[in-house]
Amino acid sequence: MWKKKSKSNEDYYLASQWTLMGRKLKKHKLAKLSMLVLLILYLCAFFADFLAPYSLDEFDALYKNSPPTEIHFTHEGKFVGPFVYKLEKTIDKTDFSVKITEDTSEYYKIRFFTHGTPYKILGLIPCDLHLFGVDQGSNGGSGAKVMLFGTDSLGRDIFSRILLGSRISLTIPFASAVISFFLGVTIGSISGYFGGAVDIVIQRIIEVIGAVPQIPLWMALSAAIPPGISTVKMYFYITIILSFINWTGMARVVRGKFLSLKNEDYVMAARLSGVSTWKIIWKHLVPGFMSYLIVSVTLGIPGSIVGETSMSYLGLGIKSPATSWGVLLQEASSVTDVASNPHKLIPIIFVTITVLAFNFLGDGIRDAADPYK
Amino acid sequence: MEESAYKSESMHENAPKKPPLEALVDFFKKDLVQYIVKRLLMFIPTLLLISILVFFVIQLPPGDYVSAHIAALASEGEIVDADYAASLRADYGLDLPVHEQYIKWIKDIIWTPTDSTYYRLYGSHHNWKYSFAYGRDVWDVVNDRLGLTILVTAIIMIFQYAVSLPIAVYASTHQYSVGDYISSIIGFLGAAIPNFILAIVLMYLSYKWTGNANVGLFSQEMLQNGVHLYNFGEFLKRMIIPIIVIGTSGTCGIIRSVRAQMLDEVARQYTLTARAKGVPERTIIMKYCFRAAINPTVSGLGGVLSSLFSGSTVTAMVLNMQIQGPVLFKALQAQDMYLAGAIVMVQAVLVVIGILFSDIALAFLDPRIRYSGGGR
Amino acid sequence: MNKENILEVKDLHVDIHMTEGLLTAVRGVNFEMKRGETLGLVGESGCGKSLTCKAILGINDRKCVPSGQILFDSEGLGKVDLLSLDQKGKEIRSIRGKEISMIFQEPMVAFSPMYTIGNQINEATKLHITKDKQKSKEISMDVMRKVGIANVEKRYNQYPHEFSGGMLQRALIAMALVCNPKMLIADEPTTALDVTIQAQILELMKELQKDFNMAILFITHDLGVVAKMCDRVAVMYLGKIVESAAASEIYANPQHPYTRGLIGSVHKIGSKKEDRLFSIEGTVPLAMNLPKACGFYDRCDVRIEGLCDKAEPELTEIAPGHKIACFNCPHEACRAQREKVEEALAKGALTQSPSEDPGPAKAVPKKKKGGAQ
Repeated sequence: MWKKKSKSNEDYYLASQWTLMGRKLKKHKLAKLSMLVLLILYLCAFFADFLAPYSLDEFDALYKNSPPTEIHFTHEGKFVGPFVYKLEKTIDKTDFSVKITEDTSEYYKIRFFTHGTPYKILGLIPCDLHLFGVDQGSNGGSGAKVMLFGTDSLGRDIFSRILLGSRISLTIPFASAVISFFLGVTIGSISGYFGGAVDIVIQRIIEVIGAVPQIPLWMALSAAIPPGISTVKMYFYITIILSFINWTGMARVVRGKFLSLKNEDYVMAARLSGVSTWKIIWKHLVPGFMSYLIVSVTLGIPGSIVGETSMSYLGLGIKSPATSWGVLLQEASSVTDVASNPHKLIPIIFVTITVLAFNFLGDGIRDAADPYK
Repeated sequence: MEESAYKSESMHENAPKKPPLEALVDFFKKDLVQYIVKRLLMFIPTLLLISILVFFVIQLPPGDYVSAHIAALASEGEIVDADYAASLRADYGLDLPVHEQYIKWIKDIIWTPTDSTYYRLYGSHHNWKYSFAYGRDVWDVVNDRLGLTILVTAIIMIFQYAVSLPIAVYASTHQYSVGDYISSIIGFLGAAIPNFILAIVLMYLSYKWTGNANVGLFSQEMLQNGVHLYNFGEFLKRMIIPIIVIGTSGTCGIIRSVRAQMLDEVARQYTLTARAKGVPERTIIMKYCFRAAINPTVSGLGGVLSSLFSGSTVTAMVLNMQIQGPVLFKALQAQDMYLAGAIVMVQAVLVVIGILFSDIALAFLDPRIRYSGGGR
Repeated sequence: MNKENILEVKDLHVDIHMTEGLLTAVRGVNFEMKRGETLGLVGESGCGKSLTCKAILGINDRKCVPSGQILFDSEGLGKVDLLSLDQKGKEIRSIRGKEISMIFQEPMVAFSPMYTIGNQINEATKLHITKDKQKSKEISMDVMRKVGIANVEKRYNQYPHEFSGGMLQRALIAMALVCNPKMLIADEPTTALDVTIQAQILELMKELQKDFNMAILFITHDLGVVAKMCDRVAVMYLGKIVESAAASEIYANPQHPYTRGLIGSVHKIGSKKEDRLFSIEGTVPLAMNLPKACGFYDRCDVRIEGLCDKAEPELTEIAPGHKIACFNCPHEACRAQREKVEEALAKGALTQSPSEDPGPAKAVPKKKKGGAQ
């Protein structure tokens, strides 16, 4: 009678470590939500060209510093669906001040799947389809724009720039996490496996890099970026600079795990039953801390995002014409400017959400990876 | 360990009880001093490695420092004396191989002889080289804001611990309560929102609500008359945003780690022993759990210091604070690497000193380390 | 409450609230202790021994909720139900450490590493006996001497990590005895120690028991220790007492199949080489959602199909002071119980709480309260 364990129980006892982790992660609502948010953000970054109505440096002098475009639905009491008005410049005759107002004589409908600025899918296939855009006016005029998040001081659409900038902001931390992962695992396992003098030297180096304040060191390292290089090279440099510091955390985890697991009873048992060292490392040691590595990678990403954003904000990282969220935030550096154009703070929301999501996801994975929880 | 304890026991068996002062002296002779000396000795290779890292950073920009400087001068239309250029190259040791350049750089910092040009010019034995961006001696520039940087960092650090420790104890003793959740949520937000972004937002809000962005550590009046007791309040008011911005992320980190540590300690067997003795809950929490949980916090002091310097760098630029961050920025923009390197080095050394202090404090706090001579 | 009894435990249940559900780890335990006697509580790991004794002191984990009655004849408060007191209040604290104290299984972790041994022993003295620093220190040192710690002046100011395991256990005993308690709970006090040290500690406890005239509740899974220490023995299995008798009686005349198994699994000097050590087959079932059956049914070699898996036997007195909970016992009282239950089963009277009952196991024993006692 006791042996009649329910099916789910049986599954539970037989499930692999990863299945268990996945299951626990599913229970972690915040982590699940974060994963969804990140998925959406990365999809948006991938389809940015299509989702963004304008290109990175398309500008309209009339739209300088304009707040988010108002989207109307009724024109002269008549429902016509979502549309915008064109802006017009009027000069006040009395004090000659320039005013920019909506020209309500003509409406411009927002169309979906319109043809607009051409771009290349994956940099290869030319295309000009966009998710949405402004049609010709009801009287055949043109020149109206839809700026969902308003514009910057040059009249560029912030919405499009956030989407296109996310390609850099979201992938640099990822690329640097991958690089630091390999660096960290390699150096950490060398340190933990060989021990002795090698270990001492590596530990000292890790300690020193850890002691130097991160952002100042990143900033100082950015001096290595030669001026006037291509976007791709700039991207590459920043990734390397971010990884320069991040690998140390990973190496420390790997080394610590190597040292502590090396003397565990089950490793001793494997050794006594004649399992080769190589097999012990890969069959018994590495799976034991793989989950910690994943946690470490995930929790390292937010730091890189902040690093890249900070450096780009200061003009030491990604520089125009290439755009990342940090570059967009340069627009928000003057208080008076921000006070009159609060929409310039919108990129902050994206940075914060991404950082939060990675933090929550990392925490969720950490909880799920902990066999004692 | 046990055996030796027994040996010494039998040795001291009939020894008269020592007065406490003498015992203290004895104790210092034996364990702690050895431990501290060991730590201090470990400080030297660390310093050496830091200097190598900094020198590496200084060497990073393409091209050499003096040519870049002279090119910049020339582009401004100044005619550069060839002798001057040659003397500069000699001073920086640019014609030497890299490792000799490094040795010369370090040597000059540690001790510049009295008969050198540098000593005649600046009257200092420590030549950190010349900052082109500021047109002054590098150490002068660094030293200018060093005191204030340390002061601001110290104030923020004190704030962090004063706020986070009580909250952490509360959160851990009221696990899963509303207060616990609120503190975790704020903790998460604080840790997630990048410092300088929080600075921008707070500055914006402050400007909107009070019409004053409260940027800069000093008012115009303070810059003229200096900070005195009567306008210290104004200084503190101007510290509010920096404290919140730079302090929050660290505060949240401390809360999270102390809370977790406290929860670990509460589950320990010795809390059960204490409870079985009839010790009141509050005493158990404070005497046993908190006392044990504080150790990892103390050992994390160096990390906190490091993240404070890191966080304050960009924030200082946003808030226009008169600390080292903006100087570093200006130096990097001008590729004034010796200045930038000096700042990074000074901050790293401060952090390492912080780690040293925390290690020594830990030895006082944790009897296990004290007696094992730090063989952790 | 019987006058010579110092402690009476009546129908004690301990529920553990886990994320997976409710686990009733102690399911209706009854026993009493006389002044100065030693009661051995024997059973496998996880049978609820430790929970039972922690419930007496009210120091269970927050997740564990005890219910029932624990009557204690206290000096300060008179006869009092310990479970009815506020578990964090002053009254119970005046009993803990002063009238009932406890020795724990692992002396190495029972002391805080942060304070000296003297400080931790003295804490109880200061709480319960005198606030006078000098006096309390003297009292504490006296007790330390009594438990056989040499060079007390020095040892008093040493930290736990400077003590060996055996010395620590002595210190732990000193800490428990410093207030001269009437009752001592010893939770496997020698399990973590070397065999030679074990003997010393047991000898010490016996001596001290005489000196202090204490009742000792001795929890162990080691039958050898029980034979050496205890006047009476209660055997626990799966949260219930299955047999209780005088120690000599249990060894001479074990009645419950589980007790027989336990005694059979002890190695005897002089036994033949080919005699294999007896072992009880199977493992203890998980005390969650227990069906209505004898807890030992699966592992029992004398089980009665159709009876033992349908109903749970009650503790029945078969000889003065000898109680057993088993249907398959030739004794009259047991047979009477068996017949009664069989009759009821035939009538279907007991099906009111069928074994498919998904509710917590707690409901099962409660319904049969007062059966054979």
